[in-house]
Amino acid sequence: MDTLSALLHLSPETFWMIVKILVVFAGPLTIAALLTWVERRGSAMIQDRIGPNRAAIFGFRLIGLPQIAADGIKAFLKEDLVPAEANKVLFWLAPLLAFIPAVLGMAVIPFGQSFESGGHTYHMSLLDPGNGMGMLFPMAIGAMAVYGVLVAAWSSNNKWSILGGMRASAQMVSDELSMSLAVIAIFMTAGAYDPHDLIQAQYGLWNVVPHFLGFLVFFTCMFAETNRLPFDFAEGESEIVAGFLTEYGSMKFALIYLSEYIHLVVASALIVTLYFGGWRVPFVANPGPWLSVASFLAKTLFFCWVFVWVRWTVPRFRYDQLMKMGWKVLLPLSLINFLFHAFLMFRRG
Amino acid sequence: MAVIVKQVKLSWLDRTYFWPVFKGMVITFGHFLRNLFTSTPKRYTVQYPDMKRVMPEGYRGLHELKRHADGSIKCVACFMCAEACPARCITIRAEEFSDLNLTQGFEEKRPRVFKIDMLRCIYCGYCEEACPKDAIWLRKDYELSAYDRLSMQYGKWDLMNTYAEEDGKARITTDPKPAVCSQKASL
Ligand code: SF4
Ligand code: SF4
Repeated sequence: MDTLSALLHLSPETFWMIVKILVVFAGPLTIAALLTWVERRGSAMIQDRIGPNRAAIFGFRLIGLPQIAADGIKAFLKEDLVPAEANKVLFWLAPLLAFIPAVLGMAVIPFGQSFESGGHTYHMSLLDPGNGMGMLFPMAIGAMAVYGVLVAAWSSNNKWSILGGMRASAQMVSDELSMSLAVIAIFMTAGAYDPHDLIQAQYGLWNVVPHFLGFLVFFTCMFAETNRLPFDFAEGESEIVAGFLTEYGSMKFALIYLSEYIHLVVASALIVTLYFGGWRVPFVANPGPWLSVASFLAKTLFFCWVFVWVRWTVPRFRYDQLMKMGWKVLLPLSLINFLFHAFLMFRRG
Repeated sequence: MAVIVKQVKLSWLDRTYFWPVFKGMVITFGHFLRNLFTSTPKRYTVQYPDMKRVMPEGYRGLHELKRHADGSIKCVACFMCAEACPARCITIRAEEFSDLNLTQGFEEKRPRVFKIDMLRCIYCGYCEEACPKDAIWLRKDYELSAYDRLSMQYGKWDLMNTYAEEDGKARITTDPKPAVCSQKASL
C-alpha cells in the first residue's frame, strides 16, 4: 500500500481515499450496467426466450454484452424532448434527484474487512467507522430516492405521471415503517448501528437466522423500495403507461433507469450487510482483504440476481393489495419481530 | 352471461405467500438452468435469418408450375385452378401451340400467360387440389417479399423456376420446341 502510494506521489490516506471513491462509485455503476444485461438475458432464459444477442462489436456478439453499450449510445444520441407544459427546471432536475441518492447509498457500507499495512488501518468503506451516521445514512438516502420519482412525476405535467408518482410515494410511506422496524431490531440486538459493528456482531451467526422474520419483511420492503416488480406501481404498462417515466426519453430516461438498478445494487448490499454478515466468509474468522471483498461481491451479486429472479417469477400486485400488505401484514410482522427480540433481550437481562 | 368464478380454497401454507413464491422461483430457475445448458439452436426460438425453420410436410408456400422432363410446362391451361381460387388471383391466357393432338404425343393447349398475384393469394392450396394435371404445387418456400407490388406478380417463367435451385433443375425461360416426346407417346 505504502509503496503504491509512494509511486503515485500521494500520501497513503489520499491514495486509499481515491481507490475507495473509485470502488464505491464505479462499482455499483458497473454492476448496474451489467444488471441491465442480466435482467434481459436472464428473463429471456426464464421465459424460454433468447434475449438480446444481436448487438456486436466487429462482428463478435459476446453473448449480447455489447447491447449495454448500444443502449447507452442510443440514449445519448436520441432527441431530448421536454413536454411544452412541463416544469422545465424540475424536469431536468428529476433524473439527478433519482441518481444522486442512489449512488450515495453505498458510502457507508463496508465492502471488505479492514486491514493494516505500514502502520495504518485501512477501512473498506468510503466513510470510516464511527462517522456517527452508520446504517441510518443508506436508509435515509434510500428514502430520498422517492423525491426523484415524485419530482419527475410532478414536473411532467401528465396525469399518468402524477398517478405514478403518487403511488410511489404512498408505497414508500407504507413500507418504510416496517422496514425501519425490522432494521431497528437488528440495531437493538447488535447494540450498534454502525455497519462495521453490525458485521462484527454477526461473527459466528449471521443475522438472517435469529432475524428471519425481519429479513423477510426487509427483503419484501426492498422490492417496494427499489420500485421493482411485484411492486412497481410507479409504472404500470396496462394502467398508467410508464407512470412517472411517461414523458422521459433519451439520456434522462436512461439515468432514471440506471439509478433504479444502482438502487437495486445498494439494496442488495444493505441486505448482505444487515442480514448476511457483510464481508464475512463462513467458517473463516479473518478472511483478509481479498477474500472478504470477493465474499461481499459474491453475496451482493447473488441478491441482485434474486431481485431479477423474483421479478420474473411473481406477477404484479394490485395497488390496494400492496397497501393492505404494507399496513396489515408487514407492519405487524416486523412489530412482532421487534417485540420478540426485545423480549429475548429482556429475559437475558 | 354470468360466469361462475371458481373460488380456490388456499391452504394456510399458500396464504403465507412466501411458500408459493418460493415454489414459483424453483420453477423459473428450472427454466433458467434448462435454457442455460441448451445451445441456442436447440431452444424454442428459431433465430430466423441465421436458422431457417424446416417446414412440415403439407406446408403451403410459394407455388411451382411443374414441368415435363423435356422442360415443357405440365399445365394445359384448363382454368380449373383459376376457377377454384377463392382469392381470384390466378390469371391465365391460353394458347394453342401445336397441330398435333394428344394421341400423337402433345397437349395442344398451354398457358401463354400464367400469373399469380402473390399479394392476393391466401395460400389455401385450392389450385393444387383442383389441378387435373398435377401441374401446380404449393411448396415450402415461405420467404416471399419484394420492394414493390409489381414484383409480387409472379409470371409463368417465375413460377416455373421458383424451386429450380432447390431441385437442381435448370432455369428455363422459353417453351421447348414441340417434338415427339416419348413419355407422352405411351399414353
Ligand atoms: S393458393 Fe389459393 S389463393 Fe393462392 S392461387 Fe392457389 S387457389 Fe388461389
Ligand atoms: S395449373 Fe392445372 S388447373 Fe391450372 S390451368 Fe394449368 S392444368 Fe389447369
